[in-house]
Amino acid sequence: MTMSTTAGTAAGAHAGSAVGKAAAVEQYNYDIVKKFAIMALVWGVLGMFAGVWIASELAWPFLNFDVAEITFGRLRPVHTTLVIFGFGGSALFATSYYIVQRTCQARLWGGRWAAEFTFWGWQVGVGAGVILYMLGFTQGREYAEFVWPLDIAIAVVWVTYFLVYTMTLLKRTQPHIYVANWFFMSFILATALLHIFNNLAVPVSFTSLESYSLFSGVQDAMTQWWYGHNAVGFFLTAAFLGMMYYFVPKQAGRPIYSYRLSIVHFWALSFLYMWVGTHHLHWTAIPDWTSTLAATFSILLLLPSWGGMINGIMTLSGAWDKLRTDPIILFMITALSFYGMSTFEGPLMSLKSVNALSHYTDWTVGHVHSGALGWVAMITFGSFYHLIPRLWGVAKGMYSTKMIYVHFWLATIGIVLYISSLWVAGIGQGLMLRAFDEYGNLGYTFIETVTFMHLPYVVRAIGGMFFLAGIILMVYNVYMTIAGAKRRVEVDVAARSAAVAR
Amino acid sequence: MALSSDKKPGQVETTGHVWDGDLREYNNPLPRWWLWTFYATIVFAVVYWIMYPAWPVFKTFTPGMASLTIEQDGKEVQVPWNSRNLFIQEMQSSPAAVRQREFTEKVSNASFEQIIADPNMLAFARSMGAGLFGDNCAACHGQGGQGNLPSYPSLADNEWLWGGSFEMISKDLQNGLKGNMPAFPSVKGEALTDLANYVLSMSGLEVDAASASRGKAGFAMCAACHGVDGKGNPMLGAPNLTDMAWSNLDMMGAQNVDAKRKMVEHVVTNGIQREMPGFSNRLTPVEIKMLTVYVHELSGGQ
Repeated sequence: MTMSTTAGTAAGAHAGSAVGKAAAVEQYNYDIVKKFAIMALVWGVLGMFAGVWIASELAWPFLNFDVAEITFGRLRPVHTTLVIFGFGGSALFATSYYIVQRTCQARLWGGRWAAEFTFWGWQVGVGAGVILYMLGFTQGREYAEFVWPLDIAIAVVWVTYFLVYTMTLLKRTQPHIYVANWFFMSFILATALLHIFNNLAVPVSFTSLESYSLFSGVQDAMTQWWYGHNAVGFFLTAAFLGMMYYFVPKQAGRPIYSYRLSIVHFWALSFLYMWVGTHHLHWTAIPDWTSTLAATFSILLLLPSWGGMINGIMTLSGAWDKLRTDPIILFMITALSFYGMSTFEGPLMSLKSVNALSHYTDWTVGHVHSGALGWVAMITFGSFYHLIPRLWGVAKGMYSTKMIYVHFWLATIGIVLYISSLWVAGIGQGLMLRAFDEYGNLGYTFIETVTFMHLPYVVRAIGGMFFLAGIILMVYNVYMTIAGAKRRVEVDVAARSAAVAR
Repeated sequence: MALSSDKKPGQVETTGHVWDGDLREYNNPLPRWWLWTFYATIVFAVVYWIMYPAWPVFKTFTPGMASLTIEQDGKEVQVPWNSRNLFIQEMQSSPAAVRQREFTEKVSNASFEQIIADPNMLAFARSMGAGLFGDNCAACHGQGGQGNLPSYPSLADNEWLWGGSFEMISKDLQNGLKGNMPAFPSVKGEALTDLANYVLSMSGLEVDAASASRGKAGFAMCAACHGVDGKGNPMLGAPNLTDMAWSNLDMMGAQNVDAKRKMVEHVVTNGIQREMPGFSNRLTPVEIKMLTVYVHELSGGQ
């Protein structure tokens, strides 16, 4: 298929070829993409290790060792912050900076230092945040535990990110804005709104890390879940759809299935997500009408969410043969499948009658992980296996394709163990908590539900270990790929200087 | 729409835009099934909005058409659906609530003796008591009431620090308990060893008889609470020292007489402070009553 000959061919800066490499180095800021990509993997290993550790604490409580800093209560936000903001956030910075440059054919706006500031700001923010959690400093707002000085710092970093991204889009040399960029834009914009409003607070004093939220009671609960669920919606869904919209067609070598579908599901998703957070508060003190709106908008959200899955899977559908030869495609198709499954499960759980069973049980935790491990992490792994060799200019791809296969199976088995054990734990726990005996008394005590969950908790922890083993293998594969690239450059330089000497 | 010269027959056109060398997009229509299912979810949502409280309108909201039947002042009335009315309805008419209420009324009018004499009421007390015990007592006293040294006495033996009658158990559940033995740091050296040996000899343990008999004199200050014969005083929660039931000391776990004596010495020197919270603010009178029967039954009671 020969297409318009506008800027497209000039962009043929495929990092694989030597010419492309040279051009890319001048044309694009790859340095920042590399830094974020490496930090995504570092935080990923640490965050998933923290996850395995706290899952093990639930199964074998002696692992708390009576050390306050490593008890479940303190390590849980360490885990969520490291995997969402450390791993997920850094992966999004990396891929969004890569994609916006390549699809706009423009170098990042703001010179070297604006992007560099977002890098150091983000890393220091995440690192300082989790150390403070372990020392006991937290706002106690779920997924927004950062203390107020860090909140302000992160807001500044995020506004800089917004500027770098938008200004790069504005100076693009392409007539149109590629679909991936719409998703990244809505992610950056929505995250700024969510972060700033949810964290409005009055510090106790300027020398204190403590603060009081501006909201209280029901309003506070609703603000927290407006934030919490849209962190899922815009951070963990929209943004990773942006990643998908670039790397899936690239890796499959096929056009996106439907431009029309991408427009419709983009706007529907962006519009509908903001309404649904309250479904985390069904059957509490919130007004009934807020519950109704949250439940119905969650149902309305099902098909717009699936739009992304359809576009991804149908894009791959012309390249099914590659499933046999390309493990990166395997990662992508599995990610899209888990995305479809968890965006079906979500609206189901948001119905009030289902929620009455599922809420306050580990079903919720399992659901989050089918999205977080199955979708977010798997699409990131697939994208990184495509990205890493191109960033470091390794034409043959990753160091070991076999290791990618092993990683894929470790991750997939891990997820399946994780979510199926928590289905058992959660649904079982929900049924036990609501069971009455023949006298109308509660059928079980709380501790009996805990005893029941021990075995599923053990299986869940083992699932997590599989997943962690997968990313550790990936880190080794990435290290060998980069080390190989460096060695080749050194040999090259040595040969050239030898020639000059002669 | 740009042209694509090598289009195969029947193939959908792309939009003609190209990014990054090879990124293109087909212009396929929305999948039919996707579109119709989306419409179906819209219909579902609108029906839901018509039926239930949904949209805010100034200071109120659309109440919805769904209604519930509840009993009010002895009459059946139709009320709008909301979660409060739903709760009222469930408490009035769900099978579990009806059954529980029947038994609750029955047991609240019965004496403890009547309850344990009636198999149905006793079974109800066991059922409710087991849940209440598991959620309120087991954390300290253990799932079977076996106790947890050194602070939480066993409820499964028939030795009662504060009395094991229904009335005493019920009173203690409501008001809680404060156990306090003063410390006697002034008793030291040989006097302390002798006293400890004497205390051990009261429960028939083999100790240095000469030392024990020297310690008897020192026991006079203990006798104020524990009694001259060491049989204790349930009014003060002072334990019987002669019954081999140890609620503070792991006597069975001790290696030898020396270790046992050291434990007693430690208690004399440091005293004991322990507290059980009262449950009258947390449990209803019927729940206290059922829990009393359950705790009483754990050991046979007095």
